[in-house]
Amino acid sequence: MAHWFHRNPLKATAPVSFNFYGVASSPAANKICNDLRATRARLLEMFTDLTCNPEMMKNATDAYFALLQGFIVSLDGTTQENKMRFIQNFKWTDTLQGNAASAQQDAVFELVSMAFNVAVWYTKFASRLAGKENITEAEAKEVHKSLKIAAGIFKHLKEAHIPRLITAVEKGRDLEARVIDTYIVQCQAEAQEVTIARAIELKHNATIVAALAFETANFYQKADHTLNTLEPDYSSKWRKYLQLKQHFYMAYAYCYHGQTLLSSDKCGEAIRSLQEAEKCYSKAEALCKEYRQTKGPGSTAKPSEQLFFLKLGGLIKNTLEKCQRENGFIYFHKIPADAPQLELKASYGLAEPVSFEFPALSEQWSPGVYATFDLTKGAKDDKAKPKQEEEVKPVKEPDLKPQKDTGCVVS
Amino acid sequence: PAIPEGMPSSTKTNKDGVLVDEFGLPQIPAT
Repeated sequence: MAHWFHRNPLKATAPVSFNFYGVASSPAANKICNDLRATRARLLEMFTDLTCNPEMMKNATDAYFALLQGFIVSLDGTTQENKMRFIQNFKWTDTLQGNAASAQQDAVFELVSMAFNVAVWYTKFASRLAGKENITEAEAKEVHKSLKIAAGIFKHLKEAHIPRLITAVEKGRDLEARVIDTYIVQCQAEAQEVTIARAIELKHNATIVAALAFETANFYQKADHTLNTLEPDYSSKWRKYLQLKQHFYMAYAYCYHGQTLLSSDKCGEAIRSLQEAEKCYSKAEALCKEYRQTKGPGSTAKPSEQLFFLKLGGLIKNTLEKCQRENGFIYFHKIPADAPQLELKASYGLAEPVSFEFPALSEQWSPGVYATFDLTKGAKDDKAKPKQEEEVKPVKEPDLKPQKDTGCVVS
Repeated sequence: PAIPEGMPSSTKTNKDGVLVDEFGLPQIPAT
């Protein structure tokens, strides 16, 4: 059965020529610069190529990052900063900030920004695959894995590379803690959605489904709270998504917990649990409508009209009716006033980020080649350098319809 | 002990020593 995931747009970036006007003073150095230009351009193309898969993406990223590392790692045996680190200016937009680009003359900024976009690509690849009507087990595994890979990339950037940036990241931009934390948690929660669907399909114990759904709801709540100090105009739509998923999975949790209670003959409590599931489901439905009406980048989907949503509604209704029938015939329990406390710890199915490392430095780099990058040979006069301010063109995403200001969309 | 299902490379155990699949679910459904 199809999953639906909200996605923010990819990051856009200005093209980079890696032309340093004489600084690359050897054929080997020049080749590195040419290869940097080519591999970067190739990687950017792949972000919007619908035929691209994780294997192709990995090859493209390895090729570029292995070369870019030569501007970052130490190549002269000293602890000094790589002399090429601050040579080239890089311009990137942010997933929440539309076309407003920020620029840093720092190869580490480029490394993290590009890797961030790779992670976003993995989430979009997963989302496209998961949105198919009849997803196979192999495809479900790919979705699950891709989301965990994305989480791993975000986590690695946050822990190992973003702290190295010289310029503080502005509020609401991708490399800022709140935004990147939300992406990490969202990826984990979405991977767990796939696991929940599988657990149901394979008829695993209701306690397993209830516990995992409960933890998944909590992940979505945590993600939503992480965004609550950001400006509403760029965070609202994403937050609506996180909130609706939170309530949707709470509905699942109460529904399956109700089944567990019924199978231990706690029928009154089971009914109360199913009633709580209904409340959460209604709240999720209301949030779906709010999601559709909220302006912001994201899909034009009507989540409450999709099968994954309607199926749960049907399940809650049928399970509640069953409990009420049995209570009327067999148990005659009083229905508690308070909803059951869900203190369910998931022992199965929690999704952890997959560890990510950048590829090793390209074999084209060596201390000798590094030495042939001669900064004294650059354009002496700044005016001589053609200061073409490279334009950042928005990314044309094949599966994202642009949001119109009125909020009305023909879908 | 139950007969493991799936390829050897896909068998892992969780922290309680239960055999789990690639999604972290028990290899054999309890129901």
